[in-house]
Amino acid sequence: MASAASYLSAVSQADARARAHGTTPTSTPALSLSSSITSSSEDTVLDESEDYADGLSFPRNPPTSEQVFDTLHSEFGHCANDNYRYTSMHPQGAEIKPWEEKEPPYYILITTYLSYIFLICLGHMRDFLGKRFRSQFYRHLLPYDGHAPLNSDFDSFYTRRLKARIDDCFSYPVTGVPGRTIALLDRYSLDHNLTQILTGGTTRALNISSYNYLGFAQARGGVADAVEEGLRRYGVSTCGTRLEGGTSELHHTAEALVASFVGQEDALISSMGFATNSTIIPALVNKGCLVISDELNHASIRFGVRLSGANVRMFKHNDMDALEGLLREVISQGQPKTHRPWKKILIIVEGLYSMEGTMVNLLGLLQLKKKYKFYLFVDEAHSIGALGPHGRGVADYFNVSPRSIDILMGTFTKSFGAAGGYVSGNKALIDRLRLRGHGGPYAESISPPVLIQILASMASIMGVGPAALPSAPSLKHSTRSSDSTITLRQDMAEQYKYPGPAAPSQLPAWMDLPLNLRDGSQASRACGASPSTRATSHAGSRSSASSRTDTMAVFARMMRTRATPIVVVVVAYPATPLVTSRVRFCLSAAHTKEDIDLVLRACDEIGDVLDLKHHPDTADASSSRFLFRDESDGKTTAQCMVVVTAEFAATPRGVCGRIVNALDEPGASLSPSPQAAWRARLFLFVGFALMAGGLAGSVSVLVLKYLLHAYAEQYLYYGYANVAQNVALMLSAVILWISQSSGSEYEYNLSI
Amino acid sequence: MDSTAAKLEPLFAFLSSSLSQLETTFYKVPGSHVVARYVKSSHQNDPGRTLLEIILFLFAVRTLLQSRTRAESPGNHFIQFTDKEVDDLVDEWTPEPLGQPLSEAEVADLAAVPVITGPNGAKPKLLGTTKPVLNFASYNFTGLAGQESIKERAIETLRKYGVGSCGPPGFYGTMDVHMDLERNIADFLGAEAAILYSQAFATISSVIPAFAKRGDIIVADRGVNFAIQKGLQISRSTIRWFDHNDLQSLEAVLESVEKDRRRRKGPLVRRFIVTEGIFEKDGAMVDLPKLIELKEKYKYRLILDESVSFGTVGRTGRGLTELYNVPATKVDMLVGSVSNTLNSAGGFCAGSKIIVDHQRINGTSFVFSAAVPALLAVSASEGINMLRDTPSILSTLQENIRAIRSILLRVDCISIPSHPASPIIHIHVRPAAPLTLTPSSSAASHSGKPSNPASIHPRDRDRSRDSHRDLRDKERERDRYGYRGSKHHREPDRDERKRRDDHREDRERSASVFRGDGGEKRDLPVEEKHEERAEKRPRYERDAEEAKEEAGPPQPAVRAETPEEGEI
Repeated sequence: MASAASYLSAVSQADARARAHGTTPTSTPALSLSSSITSSSEDTVLDESEDYADGLSFPRNPPTSEQVFDTLHSEFGHCANDNYRYTSMHPQGAEIKPWEEKEPPYYILITTYLSYIFLICLGHMRDFLGKRFRSQFYRHLLPYDGHAPLNSDFDSFYTRRLKARIDDCFSYPVTGVPGRTIALLDRYSLDHNLTQILTGGTTRALNISSYNYLGFAQARGGVADAVEEGLRRYGVSTCGTRLEGGTSELHHTAEALVASFVGQEDALISSMGFATNSTIIPALVNKGCLVISDELNHASIRFGVRLSGANVRMFKHNDMDALEGLLREVISQGQPKTHRPWKKILIIVEGLYSMEGTMVNLLGLLQLKKKYKFYLFVDEAHSIGALGPHGRGVADYFNVSPRSIDILMGTFTKSFGAAGGYVSGNKALIDRLRLRGHGGPYAESISPPVLIQILASMASIMGVGPAALPSAPSLKHSTRSSDSTITLRQDMAEQYKYPGPAAPSQLPAWMDLPLNLRDGSQASRACGASPSTRATSHAGSRSSASSRTDTMAVFARMMRTRATPIVVVVVAYPATPLVTSRVRFCLSAAHTKEDIDLVLRACDEIGDVLDLKHHPDTADASSSRFLFRDESDGKTTAQCMVVVTAEFAATPRGVCGRIVNALDEPGASLSPSPQAAWRARLFLFVGFALMAGGLAGSVSVLVLKYLLHAYAEQYLYYGYANVAQNVALMLSAVILWISQSSGSEYEYNLSI
Repeated sequence: MDSTAAKLEPLFAFLSSSLSQLETTFYKVPGSHVVARYVKSSHQNDPGRTLLEIILFLFAVRTLLQSRTRAESPGNHFIQFTDKEVDDLVDEWTPEPLGQPLSEAEVADLAAVPVITGPNGAKPKLLGTTKPVLNFASYNFTGLAGQESIKERAIETLRKYGVGSCGPPGFYGTMDVHMDLERNIADFLGAEAAILYSQAFATISSVIPAFAKRGDIIVADRGVNFAIQKGLQISRSTIRWFDHNDLQSLEAVLESVEKDRRRRKGPLVRRFIVTEGIFEKDGAMVDLPKLIELKEKYKYRLILDESVSFGTVGRTGRGLTELYNVPATKVDMLVGSVSNTLNSAGGFCAGSKIIVDHQRINGTSFVFSAAVPALLAVSASEGINMLRDTPSILSTLQENIRAIRSILLRVDCISIPSHPASPIIHIHVRPAAPLTLTPSSSAASHSGKPSNPASIHPRDRDRSRDSHRDLRDKERERDRYGYRGSKHHREPDRDERKRRDDHREDRERSASVFRGDGGEKRDLPVEEKHEERAEKRPRYERDAEEAKEEAGPPQPAVRAETPEEGEI
């Protein structure tokens, strides 16, 4: 809604900015045709030569004078159509569908494995020859001057022989704001991705790869202004750890705001999202405790659990039946060998799984929690801000009290455009973590500019208003112990009311957010933070949609080299299991409807070329085109997004030699698709059996037919050749087998 | 009998006819002749052979069907329960509270944490007070906090890049400013390349497991900081400890590892020495040239944590390598902190290109974490430029250190374990009362115990010697620095060389002191030992540290060998 107030504020803002930088405004930006600060002259990111036609830097359809935007179109898209918004919330009483893996057709699996064998054999051959003839390039792989090789062979095999082929899709250097669009630094390689050479030029591309769900990654606007002010006031760093002279008043302010945002009593902020998990979990559990972890949990959780010394069990992704079975087993059996009861059982799940795009079955978990008395730790790294009618994460989405969850953890990297992470819970627990968490005395505290970005973005989601904050949080049951008598039903019925707008006293006194941020109007326009309109369809931030692919490198290249370049993330080992690399789309509130259409159209075309469409629902192109047509109902579009992206099944065919995929380990229970893997393994086994039979047969033929009959030398050759051929076949298979089973050293980071 | 035989006659007839039918159908199947011939030839009128074949076949089937994962089988310890029993057990089970509420002392400690209002610096204001306080607690060694030029650069960057990087380095999170900072650090140190992590604390605990795997050998100092301990724990390598900052002990350990290897004739494994430049726990400094000599002699790789020493020693703050004039390329993995000295955030590991590139895919906290915000990376680059351009920063720092030490050394009841150049000064409080001798039996039992890995003190050094040495050190130092005063500004280069020589001499002398005392065994009554960083180190810090040590003493790799542990 373009209110007069926000219009005026935009004018005054642009004016103030121009004056602050000592330049006279060449035109009054708010009155110019585009009615936005896109034409702002001091913009250093965009140069004038950029193409106006691609719709990246400037909207294709200039906004009318009714519509006022105070963001750069390249950072935060101008989308004036309110039809595409919908509220992200769990439909009351709807059943939560269990997670299911879309399995690719067999021919794809087989060709995948074949391409594997081919690449691995080729790689080993190159290694074998290279070490002998060009040893100067292989020094780190060979014993050198009494040192053992730095990288054990298979350790780096993946990196050198498989990943190196698609390295042009990883670690792409960028510059500028990682907002709706992103500027890629052009690069090329002359030596098969060994070194990348920067040309010095940049390419602007539509960005569906950054974790910028709410579009707060901006270098302009009220939030950035607040950060600048904060930098001047507080400097860059607080010089120290939280417990050793590095605590600033800002930390307390931010922690209080975060606690009220997520609906917990207290919160603790740490300076790195990964470290939040890896330093907090050891303070929660120790020896004698059990951690039950979803099999797809993030590496930081694994890291933390390993440090804690607690026992670990895993359950099938999001499978509540499996979890219940496991719970019954572990509680009845107690600790291994001694059978003593567990001290605590902590279940760690993620709100939104970054690599699958699936959401936790929170209702099921809470039901189990009632019965089995475990503690629940929800990692909301991706869901906080992006889910729920109030943007408060999965608890908000499912409309359950956040206090029914013991620990809510999340990061600021994603929705808030900042860095770091938080952990929240009841006060006693958080105070304990302040003292006992590894981060308190040892890790540097989060720096002021980042804190201010958090404060300002969070406040603009909540809105800042005089509405008196309820002194006691409006939750009837205050402590966890007292609500044990209330049944779960009542618990859920008793709706937790999130505190309304943040009181001005919750923010630093100097922080003066512009009006459109204070009343939450920008936030509600941009990311729909007001209760009714949250997560617009084009801000379908919930689908950090993932798809099961073997190699999406070609896909990524084709997306990047389109007329309107699009950057997507190719996720491969070690972020996913070896066998299931994928392409991930991270949508953002900053994207416009046109952007989403562009992406879908690109997916459709490239999907046809690469034969990626294997989902039964989208097998024919018309149904996927349906997605673009049905634009009026935002919700459908958002859901269809997931379908489209989920359809990329494994397809290495036709891109031979460029494909990276690896076998998953035999017997590993981590594969997200046990059935498909099992079947593929059966095929492999049959193959092996045939090969072994062949070898045995050739030997017996040699003995029975040639040796026993004492043929002449030249005829014996046929027998020997037969055996040699079979031995060679077996050897190649053995190499494959060894190479896939020697990965045990790093098995713990094999999957996320 | 006949009647029964007669009765069974049709049965036999049926059997034989069906058998013959079976035989003909069997022979109709292609390839069946081969099987029949094989069975006949292998049988050879010897039932034993057939039996053997059948047993072999069954064995093969059993092997194939057997579960291959060890962890799955609950083994003998699994107890079968009925559903009812399980329900009862579930009802019965009451977990401990997730977090114990704080004790009163802990609450007081937490409340005592100083909260700074406004910018931090040499004289910040604390919450609740009006007067600025002198700050001896923050890692602002170089005084870069509050530098206007850095702030300006940060604001410029903010206006170009925003705040967050919104992605891990592998997925469009690598910005040009990150690459610039990495290059700056590498150039500054003289290393081939460097990699930037987004938190200093998380850096070394990722670097160590990126290289050291199960079966590798790590020789580590007993006094390494907490982050290193965590890195060692997660690497699952075999860990051998040497006495704190005692390179003779290191040599002995290296020798014994070598002997072990020769005896077992095991394969060549990767071997690492892990230690710190200036120890966070007591401010002692390692003798880098000697360390390099040992590592080269015994073919080890060196992981050196310069979190404290980077930016605080050396003429321009390049750390120990500059102080001792050792090329940085001699240190295989040089880990440092961007947050301590450069007053930004993050950590780095510098080394050869191969070592750095390996971490880009194997450094856990690098791969799985978002990159440092651009404005912090630029601030750090700017910090490096300032260090490079203004050597007076470092000379002033060293003057200040000398000044404060010259005062502290006159205090009788304390001893300072820290190196004269260390910007972190630890103070051990000694009892003023004269020492009393205790029966020697307790001393014997004391030194006979295996050393405690959580303690930074070697097992065979008892406390009386400790304090004696401290006393002597202190006297020596007092002679040397006590009356110099801060107004004598000396050419930093020369000054440093001198101190380096002093340091060598020091080492030799203190070694001889040790040897002289070696025969005596005295023990002290249990004394309270306080460790304080400068004068102002408040009580809560110690407690937090103690709590930490309780929570996670460094544990040898064996702990991780159990299958449950391995399958996280």
